[in-house]
Amino acid sequence: MSFFRSRVPNNCAALFLAGVVLVLAGCAVPPPVSDKEAWTEYQEVNDPLEPTNRKILAFNRGVDSAVLKPAATAYRDYLPGWLRTMVGNFLDHLRAPVVFVNDVLQGEGDRALTTLNRFWINTGLGFGLLDMADAMGIEGHDEDFGQTLAVWGVPSGPFVMLPLYGPSNPRDAVGRVVDFLADPFNIWTANTDHEHLRFARAGTLAVDVRAGSLDLIEDLEKSSLDFYASIRSLYRQRRADEISNGKGSANLPAPGISGLPDRPVFDAALQMSRR
Amino acid sequence: MYAGSFFKWSIAAVLCGFLTVSSAAADSHGKASADFIRSLADKAITSLTDPETPRSERIERFRTLFNDSFAVRSIGKRALGRYWRQASDTEKTRYEKLFENLMVVTYVDRFANYAGEALDIEKSRVEDKSIATVFTQIMRKGGAKPIRVEWIVGTNGVIYKIVDVKVEGVSMTQTLSSDFASIIRRGGGIPGLLDELEKKTAQLSAAK
Repeated sequence: MSFFRSRVPNNCAALFLAGVVLVLAGCAVPPPVSDKEAWTEYQEVNDPLEPTNRKILAFNRGVDSAVLKPAATAYRDYLPGWLRTMVGNFLDHLRAPVVFVNDVLQGEGDRALTTLNRFWINTGLGFGLLDMADAMGIEGHDEDFGQTLAVWGVPSGPFVMLPLYGPSNPRDAVGRVVDFLADPFNIWTANTDHEHLRFARAGTLAVDVRAGSLDLIEDLEKSSLDFYASIRSLYRQRRADEISNGKGSANLPAPGISGLPDRPVFDAALQMSRR
Repeated sequence: MYAGSFFKWSIAAVLCGFLTVSSAAADSHGKASADFIRSLADKAITSLTDPETPRSERIERFRTLFNDSFAVRSIGKRALGRYWRQASDTEKTRYEKLFENLMVVTYVDRFANYAGEALDIEKSRVEDKSIATVFTQIMRKGGAKPIRVEWIVGTNGVIYKIVDVKVEGVSMTQTLSSDFASIIRRGGGIPGLLDELEKKTAQLSAAK
């Protein structure tokens, strides 16, 4: 019953509001259907709200460079490695129940067992701060309800840029809300007036994740001609990789493999570069 | 730590079984591709990690390494996608030069940084008779998580070239292709893309 009695978290309200804003805002102009290649490309890009999404990205980048990036840089540069590892372990540990449920929902019995074993080993031997299970060779993994929906065959829907949350799509946004509502930690904080702990966790997570991608984002900012298009492509590829658990699969878009040159093209390229 | 050693052993046993099976089934170019990546990493260490080398010199060394190890033309062509066919010969020539320059000035610093860290080659997988994937991890210093990098290596049986690199599942070629297509589509056309490439390359060459 406690699940149903828990208050609707205000983060969710923000997500729904974001959805409303997106629907009301401007749309991209599709090319004529008669231009076959352009039409295919338009559908592959699948970003009808592009003009609005670009504005939201600009807003997000402003917030990022004012708040999140400096915090993440300081976190990476001034905190010792062992402490950051512990913070990361603890954040992963808090997430374990959600990962477990999603493992089960995806029918991944072995991975569910791994998550369960990791949880009791790390609780008992590592107090949630040390990843003892990893030292024993039981590696952790992440899952979320957006991935579960994808495994169930739910299409992602168009690309959307959420204010503050960043790149997403309707499927992953719904996934976030469901994970949030199902998370025992969130239910506990909502029902015991410990909301501040939830914000502390969200803030730490944001800094930890941002610190992990400092180099990557900086590279992308440096090298990309159109940062927005690169982020959009990056998000899609990362999600496809996560959904397939890093394995790639025939029924999912496996980036790279599908884009490989056929043999004649490749041979020609080799011939040219040998000159 | 009884449980610990049990897990280690069972995993080692599984791994051994897996490795025997896969190496027996693998064509020779799977292993050769892995060796190729190993030697590329060694070359990168010797030519790029010395902090005394001036950046302009490092850029030229990296250019040689890059052209030797990557199928630059093929990657550039795929990055342009369907627009390659629409480009004129002059545009193609200009694009190929600019593309090479962009890649060199973009990756020289990153390559130099990572060259100092350990590259663990985990396994290789043969995709077909000309393509193999080499799975590696870049082990970071100071508690950072290792980075998963997959190298897609093509061969004609004699020479080996990298045709794509995937970092944590993100393909270099596919990202470039989305980037370029977006510039072209948003009104710049192919000439617009070439101008942007020129600007970007100049900017990056001047940095540091």
